[in-house]
Amino acid sequence: MLRSSEAGGVVYSRLIAKEGDESTYELFIGPQHPASGHMRFIVRLEGDIIVSVDPDIGYVHRTMEKLAEGREVIKSIPLLERMTIIDSHNVTLGLVRALEKLLDVEPPPRARYLRTLLSEINRIASHLYGMGIAGIMLNHSTMFMWAFGDREVWIQLAEDLSGSRLTHTYSVPGGVRRDLPQGFADKAEKAIRYMEKRLRDYMAIFLDNPQVRARYEGVGVLRKSEASRLGIVGPNLRASGIRYDARLAEDYAAYSELEFEVPVREEGDALARMLVRVEEIKQSMSIIRQVLRKIPDGPFFSEKYLRLLPPPLREQVAKTGRVKFPGVFASLKLPEGDAVSRVEMGHGEIFYHVTGNGSTKPYRLRVVTPSFRNVILFRYLMPGHRFMDFPAIYGSLDYFPPEADR
Amino acid sequence: MSWGDALSWLLRLLLSPQVFAPLIFPGLLTALVVLLTVIWAERKIAARVQMRVGPLYVTRRLGGVLQMLADGTRYMFQEFIIPATADRLPFLFAPVLALTLAIVPFAFIPAAPGFSPIKSPYSLPAALAAISAVPLSVLLMGWSSNNKFAIQGAVREAFMGLAYEAVVFISALSMGVLYGTLDLEEAVSRQWLPGLLLNPVAAFAFFVGMVMSAGKLPFDIVEGEQEIVAGPYVEYSGIIFGIGMGLAYLKLYSLSLIYTLLFLSGWEPVVAPLYSLYPGLGGVLLFAKAYLLMLFIVFLRSVYGRYRLDQALRAGWRIYLPLSLISLLISILLRVVGVV
Repeated sequence: MLRSSEAGGVVYSRLIAKEGDESTYELFIGPQHPASGHMRFIVRLEGDIIVSVDPDIGYVHRTMEKLAEGREVIKSIPLLERMTIIDSHNVTLGLVRALEKLLDVEPPPRARYLRTLLSEINRIASHLYGMGIAGIMLNHSTMFMWAFGDREVWIQLAEDLSGSRLTHTYSVPGGVRRDLPQGFADKAEKAIRYMEKRLRDYMAIFLDNPQVRARYEGVGVLRKSEASRLGIVGPNLRASGIRYDARLAEDYAAYSELEFEVPVREEGDALARMLVRVEEIKQSMSIIRQVLRKIPDGPFFSEKYLRLLPPPLREQVAKTGRVKFPGVFASLKLPEGDAVSRVEMGHGEIFYHVTGNGSTKPYRLRVVTPSFRNVILFRYLMPGHRFMDFPAIYGSLDYFPPEADR
Repeated sequence: MSWGDALSWLLRLLLSPQVFAPLIFPGLLTALVVLLTVIWAERKIAARVQMRVGPLYVTRRLGGVLQMLADGTRYMFQEFIIPATADRLPFLFAPVLALTLAIVPFAFIPAAPGFSPIKSPYSLPAALAAISAVPLSVLLMGWSSNNKFAIQGAVREAFMGLAYEAVVFISALSMGVLYGTLDLEEAVSRQWLPGLLLNPVAAFAFFVGMVMSAGKLPFDIVEGEQEIVAGPYVEYSGIIFGIGMGLAYLKLYSLSLIYTLLFLSGWEPVVAPLYSLYPGLGGVLLFAKAYLLMLFIVFLRSVYGRYRLDQALRAGWRIYLPLSLISLLISILLRVVGVV
């Protein structure tokens, strides 16, 4: 019944020919289900074995791309960060990069470092969110509560930096909205030391717990060849042994000036995916330390736009560390042409393609989100596993439904 | 017959072991109190581990101890929906049957020396038999709901039931062999050392079987809300859902009492003043031990997640069943040597 073939590079995976057979048992999981998220899965079972899973992603209905085409480009930043509200700086950084390429403006070095800082804070918060959800998918409520409680530490840091808890709207074309607040480095150092201690606790109660290991080890194995063929991104890809990270591939923010490792694992199972996330949290913390040590002085917003401000306001911006945007900034005209950019989010690589036609609104704004690229894993990883592995694999994928339905 | 006579007759009836034990202690009323406080304690313990405060909305000063009562009241007044596709009679009958079967064991569990509602030489198998009939009614619940998730849950209950019953029965039987009696009251009096030390293997196997049977983590498989929403109880609402939820705790309570009687030397040493006041109160230690045991079992929630069904079954059949058989051998050996 179970077939697995790699012949000729074709992955039949563990898809089973019996789909549609009368002996299969069809379960519709979601959109209102404790573990489905805002989406639906059509799961077919034979006994307790999953025969096939059809993810039906269209239950969020927010049509981000189309909405973004109907408004001024600057307004699409707070709009698009709602796609992945848990990772809201990383998700818009790609858009900002694409807009900067179109508008031909470069952020000053300090702004690049500040972007890196908030990106890494967001990445940690996003991974903690993912680990918490993975915990509750195994009914491990302690992991859920711990991860969500400790996420608060990072959200607080992000709030200190950007002024808002979740939707930061921190990066704008030409720089960032606010400068580094005073005393931030101490707070960050405190948070990092706390998190290092907590990660050891997480390992003890969750990832080294024999019961959790039994649920995760060897479950939902994504082979290297499958991962590259299906176009998987993010920690899911790196857990399968492929060292790819948009932070390395695309030079954005300050990543080329910082030292960090991209954690890679060979196993490709659910446990490896979780461990890669833990390692990434550690790497992110080391990046934050480096950023706070190396951050250069200077303006945090591009001179090109600051010049549009009257001199007294310009002084005020320099003094308070907050940008008062010039009026024309709200209706920037996008020149004709295309710009693409990619950025590494907590979930994986996000890709933006913006087309301008000389008006204030983008002619076309196209996003390829990591969850949209990873959603295919439901179809390929689940079949052949027990039904109870469904939430375990789902949790380990760190899949975020609103992000896929963009 | 004057009013006074009638009243004293009523009081005598109420205080006779046949009524007092199953209805008040350790039976129905105490079980209800246990139900409320253990669920509260479970939430409080988990909250402590998880660095939060737990229930506080009702009676903030007492740590929210009345929260479960409030929840129960809410269940009571919630609309009770019977799905159009459900099989009405078994749908309504099954939870009632389950609750009844979960309370029957108290008729055989002695609360204090010489204080049991039904004095029987077979009280141990009788109590266990009543407990092991509960899964049948859960099966009926799932089947009559006519919902795919409910049927999945019912099938899981059937699988789990088979896996743990054998373990619980054989390890209990091994203690019966050790003590040379199947009477719970006798069993307590034969323990010069707690049964836990006499036969630790049986104690361990029985403990795991108990956790499995009560559906506590890590064996919280039957109502796995991440996969099958609430398993057999998914179509139930209102107070009947509350019964379904309380069922596991009732089973846990009666099994903890049996565990205490078999392995923790029951009410020994009896609190003599209480016993002389009224024999039914002699079981205070029994109750305290059983309650502590329950607290430990609900604490497991904050440590473990949920095992997969096949892993739990494999553990039940491949590890704990052989363990319980080994415990039987140990008991026979100890009996031959003449330890007990």
